[in-house]
Amino acid sequence: MAMAAPNQLNISEPPTWGSRTVDCFEKLEQIGEGTYGQVYMAREIRTGEIVALKKIRMDNEREGFPITAIREIKILKKLHHENVIQLKEIVTSPGPEKDEQGRPDGNKYKGGIYMVFEYMDHDLTGLADRPGMRFSVPQIKCYMRQLLTGLHYCHVNQVLHRDIKGSNLLIDNEGNLKLADFGLARSFSNDHNANLTNRVITLWYRPPELLLGATKYGPAVDMWSVGCIFAELLHGKPIFPGKDEPEQLNKIFELCGSPDENNWPGVSKIPWYNNFKPTRPLRRRLREVFRHFDHHALELLERMLTLDPSQRISAKDALDAEYFWTDPLPCDPKSLPKYESSHEFQTKKKRQQQRQHEETAKRQKLQQHARLPPHQQSGQGHPQMRPGPNPPAHGSQNQVVGGPSHHYGKPRGPSGGPGRYPQGGNPSAGYNHPNRGQGGGGYGSGPYPPQGRGAPYGSSNMPGPGPRGGGGGNYGAGGPNFPHGGQYGASGAGRGSNMMSGNRNQQYNWQQ
Amino acid sequence: MITDGANSIPHHRRQTEPSQIEPIITSTTPRVLTILSSVLEKLVARNDQLQQCHHHHRSGKKSLKAFDGIRAPSISIPKYLERIYKYTNCSPSCFVVGYVYIDRLVHKNPDSLVISLNIHRLLVTSVMLASKMLDDVHYNNAFFARVGGVSNAELNKLELELLFLLDFGVVVSSKVFESYCQHLEREMFRNGGSTTTYPVSISPSAITPHGNNTCDDDSADLPSEDLHASDS
Repeated sequence: MAMAAPNQLNISEPPTWGSRTVDCFEKLEQIGEGTYGQVYMAREIRTGEIVALKKIRMDNEREGFPITAIREIKILKKLHHENVIQLKEIVTSPGPEKDEQGRPDGNKYKGGIYMVFEYMDHDLTGLADRPGMRFSVPQIKCYMRQLLTGLHYCHVNQVLHRDIKGSNLLIDNEGNLKLADFGLARSFSNDHNANLTNRVITLWYRPPELLLGATKYGPAVDMWSVGCIFAELLHGKPIFPGKDEPEQLNKIFELCGSPDENNWPGVSKIPWYNNFKPTRPLRRRLREVFRHFDHHALELLERMLTLDPSQRISAKDALDAEYFWTDPLPCDPKSLPKYESSHEFQTKKKRQQQRQHEETAKRQKLQQHARLPPHQQSGQGHPQMRPGPNPPAHGSQNQVVGGPSHHYGKPRGPSGGPGRYPQGGNPSAGYNHPNRGQGGGGYGSGPYPPQGRGAPYGSSNMPGPGPRGGGGGNYGAGGPNFPHGGQYGASGAGRGSNMMSGNRNQQYNWQQ
Repeated sequence: MITDGANSIPHHRRQTEPSQIEPIITSTTPRVLTILSSVLEKLVARNDQLQQCHHHHRSGKKSLKAFDGIRAPSISIPKYLERIYKYTNCSPSCFVVGYVYIDRLVHKNPDSLVISLNIHRLLVTSVMLASKMLDDVHYNNAFFARVGGVSNAELNKLELELLFLLDFGVVVSSKVFESYCQHLEREMFRNGGSTTTYPVSISPSAITPHGNNTCDDDSADLPSEDLHASDS
């Protein structure tokens, strides 16, 4: 035996990962592009199975293998659930490097490492942003229930996702929803003693405790994000589209009221509470603003968008909410309409160009209606843009409808692929969700950018002392989870860097 | 393939050894380093012998071959561990977790032996990976490479090698962590290496962010070490 060591401590498993190369797959189409590298739709040659290949870029030699990638891989390795994206394998790609004699140098890692995921057709944001798209109530319940089921599974396994948002919720044409992009996720212990970074979660979905600087937190952070998504699905557009941290908190306080020791015991001890405390108390207006929501929906939303994380509803309790157990019930995923198959990528380019013209015209007309609210049981008259896929409450038709399936499935300039995944670049102005393109793409829009993918701390709106340490600014690639200097400073290259340009804010007004 | 790479790096004896600067085992050295050194030294000595007797040929697709040097580095295991601890300021727990990784490797590759040719590279790679996993604030690969006496490129390659050999199984639960601590402790007593009775000065609670060092390799005062240099 090689080493005198406790055998019983090793749970061995067959060493399969990394034993195959990317040559086992035929790349069909690039479906994403970001600072992190590329995402491809590919076919496994042996089985014909369609997969998504996400390349892990490793060109920052000083940092070695990206810590975010290690984290994502180790977390996905232990999560196996129908509502969590499945990491099937890791494959390597032989590098093109040659040694002095011109032979391949045999370093299989130089060419790159790919994560192999099951292929998913859409993401929630992209689906919701399709022109004319309106989700039915059973459909929203169906997605919400899957989201909560997946998240409950993560939380039971002591994993915080820390980046729940529409573009990280992938949906296939069977109506299944899966959590994706665990690049920011981490394990937590129940004692809540660890100091965690508060620079996580895309700004619009970030809970008040993180915005106030809390470093001890738990699963409740994800539940706030779920609340934001829920409200967005019901409301038809994002409810807290802040452009920076102070504005984000203001938007939250305007809707949810301002926090104090009564509604949130202990809030005054959170680091930046005094910096962000509103000058005058604001009352909670959630019920008033969303009074047109279904009663049970509003009830659940209230408990998700609770300021005090300790009083916020858990995923488990949310699944037990009346909302999911009263008519109309959540529909069967399989009964949901099938949207344009992404496998038809050959015809997509043409369609894309056609759409481009249509949409430009449409967008000019309908700037105020970024996204349509869902059908409400009350039957409120929302003008419909066009006859879209509106399955009846318990509809079971499987119609195929046209239109882009992805929120960033817009023309993206010269590179022109019919991509359904974000490119690194900024979406053009006039785009429905200027703030989101960057972060999208659940296979991982940018989990491994060289600069980390910190929250949008670009403009030093941060109150109080910054992250500790003044250290070298070029440590960036260490990932977003390390609260030291430089990381979140001037580099706006993280996933939120585009937040500043939110032009939807002026359209957005609670006081309407 | 790695041995080829090692060939290409010019051998030159460095002037300064850390040992010439200050005593290696200082009073601040965590006890886990002492224990680990002793356990590993015995293991390597035994395996080196085994290797000689049996002309042990390591075959198979996966092995620890990537970690082999051409010849054993001159720096001793205790000195090497001390050096890593001193300059990278990583938590003591990283050494236990690094040990867990090495242990997992040999169990996954029963044909491979931890020997004097590979122990140094195994150590610097596994402790670095452990530090990446455990310490919220840690040095980058470039710095670990300088401390460990290997090139940045080689360490990156070894890191990937290690990750794949481990099948990315880099999680060490506190239960497993504890049992390895106990195992190390027992080894120490069994070998009569220590007369002290206080427990290993690490615990699962030590798996917390450690230190607030800056993280770039501002290492002006870092004495050089080169695993490719050798005495003979």
